[in-house]
Amino acid sequence: MTAGRERRVTLCAKTTAVSAIPVRPGKTHPLSALDHAMARHFLRLVFYFRAAPTLTKSRLMNSLSEVLSYYPAVTGRLHREPVEDAAGGGSEWRWVVKCNDAGLRLVEARAHTTLDEWLASATDGEEMDLAHSEPMGHDTSIWSPYCVQLTEFDDGAVAIGLSSAHINADLTSAILIVRAWSDAHRRACIVFPPFLHAPALDPRPNPNPNSALFSSKSAAAAASTEPAATTKMSSATFVFSDASVKSLLSDAGDASPFDALAALFWTRIAAPELGAADLTLGIDMRKRMHAPLPYAFYGNAFHFYRVRGVDLGAGLSRVAAEIRRVGEGVREEDFWEAVEWLHERRPGRREAEPAFQVYGPELTCVEVDRDAFAYGTPFEDNDGCRPAHVTCRVDGTEGAGLVLVMPAAAEGAARQVVVTLPDDVVAKVCRDAAIAKYEPTVLFAPAGVKKG
Amino acid sequence: MSSRAPLPQFSSSVKLKYVKLGYQYLVNNFLTFLLVPVMAAVTLEVVRRGPEELLALWRAMQFDLIQILCSLFVIVFAGTVYFMSRPRPVYLVDYACFKPPAVCRVPYSTFMEHTRLINSDEKSVQFQMRILERSGLGEETCLPPANHYIPPRPTMEASRAEAQLVIFSAVDDLLRKTGLKPKDIDILIVNCSLFSPTPSLSAMVINKYKLRSNVRSFNLSGMGCSAGLISVDLARDLLQAHGSSNALVISTEIITPNFYSGHQRSMMLPNCLFRMGAAAILLSNRRREARRAKYRLVHVVRTHKGADDRAYRCVYEEEDGEGHSGISLSKDLMAIAGDALKVNITTIGPLVLPLSEQILFFLTLVGRKVLNAKWKPYIPDFKQAFEHFCIHAGGRAVIDELQKNLELSAEHVEASRMTLHRFGNTSSSSLWYELNYIESKGRMRRGDRVWQIGFGSGFKCNSAVWKCLRTVNPPVDGPWADCIHRYPVNIPEIIKL
Repeated sequence: MTAGRERRVTLCAKTTAVSAIPVRPGKTHPLSALDHAMARHFLRLVFYFRAAPTLTKSRLMNSLSEVLSYYPAVTGRLHREPVEDAAGGGSEWRWVVKCNDAGLRLVEARAHTTLDEWLASATDGEEMDLAHSEPMGHDTSIWSPYCVQLTEFDDGAVAIGLSSAHINADLTSAILIVRAWSDAHRRACIVFPPFLHAPALDPRPNPNPNSALFSSKSAAAAASTEPAATTKMSSATFVFSDASVKSLLSDAGDASPFDALAALFWTRIAAPELGAADLTLGIDMRKRMHAPLPYAFYGNAFHFYRVRGVDLGAGLSRVAAEIRRVGEGVREEDFWEAVEWLHERRPGRREAEPAFQVYGPELTCVEVDRDAFAYGTPFEDNDGCRPAHVTCRVDGTEGAGLVLVMPAAAEGAARQVVVTLPDDVVAKVCRDAAIAKYEPTVLFAPAGVKKG
Repeated sequence: MSSRAPLPQFSSSVKLKYVKLGYQYLVNNFLTFLLVPVMAAVTLEVVRRGPEELLALWRAMQFDLIQILCSLFVIVFAGTVYFMSRPRPVYLVDYACFKPPAVCRVPYSTFMEHTRLINSDEKSVQFQMRILERSGLGEETCLPPANHYIPPRPTMEASRAEAQLVIFSAVDDLLRKTGLKPKDIDILIVNCSLFSPTPSLSAMVINKYKLRSNVRSFNLSGMGCSAGLISVDLARDLLQAHGSSNALVISTEIITPNFYSGHQRSMMLPNCLFRMGAAAILLSNRRREARRAKYRLVHVVRTHKGADDRAYRCVYEEEDGEGHSGISLSKDLMAIAGDALKVNITTIGPLVLPLSEQILFFLTLVGRKVLNAKWKPYIPDFKQAFEHFCIHAGGRAVIDELQKNLELSAEHVEASRMTLHRFGNTSSSSLWYELNYIESKGRMRRGDRVWQIGFGSGFKCNSAVWKCLRTVNPPVDGPWADCIHRYPVNIPEIIKL
């Protein structure tokens, strides 16, 4: 936010949205090892919708109430449950969501501008004003992990902000919650009802815990006992149209849009030092398993893997090919090994290690919403009511930063890239000629950065 | 009410039970027993004498025309005077209760979470948790939208919005069920104790439904939870004064402005117990409504103990030390309620009890005064006078107290307990939710008598007695329609929160 500029979003009121149907008492939703590992991160999503007759606060709250009846884990509260210890110690615990029907926090806000003006001029900091989130505090029994913000713009447009602790859900789950909400609002059948089955990611009967990536992250976190002076991070969104992505693909050779964009941003972020470098990548494992999980599997199911020793100076197509090669080589085995490694060291166990950042601190690039659910959430029956824009951000990504690649509003190969990087790197990337060659629309950049 | 000493051994034997039953049949049908032999004797005599003898007897009396005409005239005159001086019957054509939307639901955990977030005093929070655990409320009770905010926003606009929501829903429902046109409403009575804006809520109803300009409207405020029966009493009196009229009675309690945000314990109960609700009732004295009316009003008995200082102050609205206004409930509320009930049933007893119970009560009373003051007072068995009981769902303690005092079984108080569980304490409209419960369960038969008892600040105890005119068959359209199959539920003494 530039100094001297007034805040354009004012919070009007805070309330709690409850489900329409009471939850059966005593229900709990245990969290998996992968969920426990995400304790340092928070998700922030914002969906922008143009003005429509049924997009009023009261009707949105009604449909939210109905959809929450399907998500008892969303309306519950985090609770440390003591675990039966084999050695009889009794001091172990794990996080569990107590489905006590408490509801989720709902914040009502007003934005003193029109939607178009906002999309043209809002900075990254201002954008997060639309996804209010509350810090955990010490009493988790009265803290709502989810917070929904309904912001009304001057022209009647509505922004739905969803913030969530990453420990409860990953980006796919969060996007599908809003998708289910839109189905309920249109009084249509919920196409992806939540699949609440936490034991799906329990370790296998013959575990083989092994994760080089997480071991190194954990060692790094343990080594740096003193928090380094955290560099200030900012964010920017690059929207590539269908034509731009196609021209990028022609430059990058035989690669998918994700590989090409990841390669492009990796090289431009690292420039001018274009030597051998590593990159951490993340993908959604729901459909890459032998027994695939439903899209609406509720919880964390992302796998992180590393691409090592790629020569960034070798050109865009070589880097993209390398990313693609390693990506195709990811086996389900690797994922299970990582889950089992995390299971052994989850917080609450005696062998627990300090929590480490999963998104970072090294440069991380994640493919989000591969199946384009985010832009397929119309709240009204006609197609013109698809979201005007969707933002996904992850909090807690200090260090080299995070690059999220997701589908864009336009159909076809169009993509948008949300980067969270140190201030100077963002400024560099926004002005970068190699990226500007593909004519992206730059939205929500930090103030002071000229939009190229 | 004094507690009963344990019954002596011989009273519980089966033989005495049959003696008691026989006594009841004999005394209650005394006139029949007297008349039957007399009529039998007369018939025998007539048959024995034969028609010619009777005709000869008639001629011997030598009536002339004038005497016959005069006696006929006297009979007709007496009959007319009798019929004209009877009070007009008051029929309850139908009633409708407001069903709160699920969006306004307040589960226990949400209520406790909001209390913790708003109130920094841990002791107050613990106290409210204990009240909620023992309250007998369920997880589906509803508060108005303004009370869901953190902190609650009790503005006048929000109060009016709640009033419009609950009252208009109930009245729309009633108009649809009865086919009544708004221009046919002659009398309008609205009672809402705690919210009294200008123009009144009755003016709000007249404005919304475009009632006639000569409608007789009344707005009762400040009269507490028993105001529903006071409105019914007022409607009855007006329907005696004006013939062929329809009266619309609306009972509600607007709780938006009454959230208590302080720390005084005696004022915290209303926050935990009061919930949204409203009922709209159509009363009429038109003869043609008798065919489709559900109930007929038999008695209304009102008792006011305000002359006693303790009773006057036991439910008192005031500001606490910090300036927050709330309703303070005194510790001897139950004792005062019991006293008020005793006076009320002393008045209503002779009107409704069968002769057998009245004689026993009278004899015990005379015996205590004259013979031996140590005889325990005889508590009449009201279960013989009524089939159904609607006890104001003011709280678990009230229902328990009345169940003990009137010696009612669990099934008699089931309607009250289940209404408290599903809808909370909706103040004056709770009696109508209870009546709807009984109907939805299919227990209401033609000829059944219902006793509605309301308690309220002041301290008042009001009773109304209704007689059912037609059997009500389930499924019944009303607030219980979607959940009646789940009831009755077992409500534990203390719910662990």
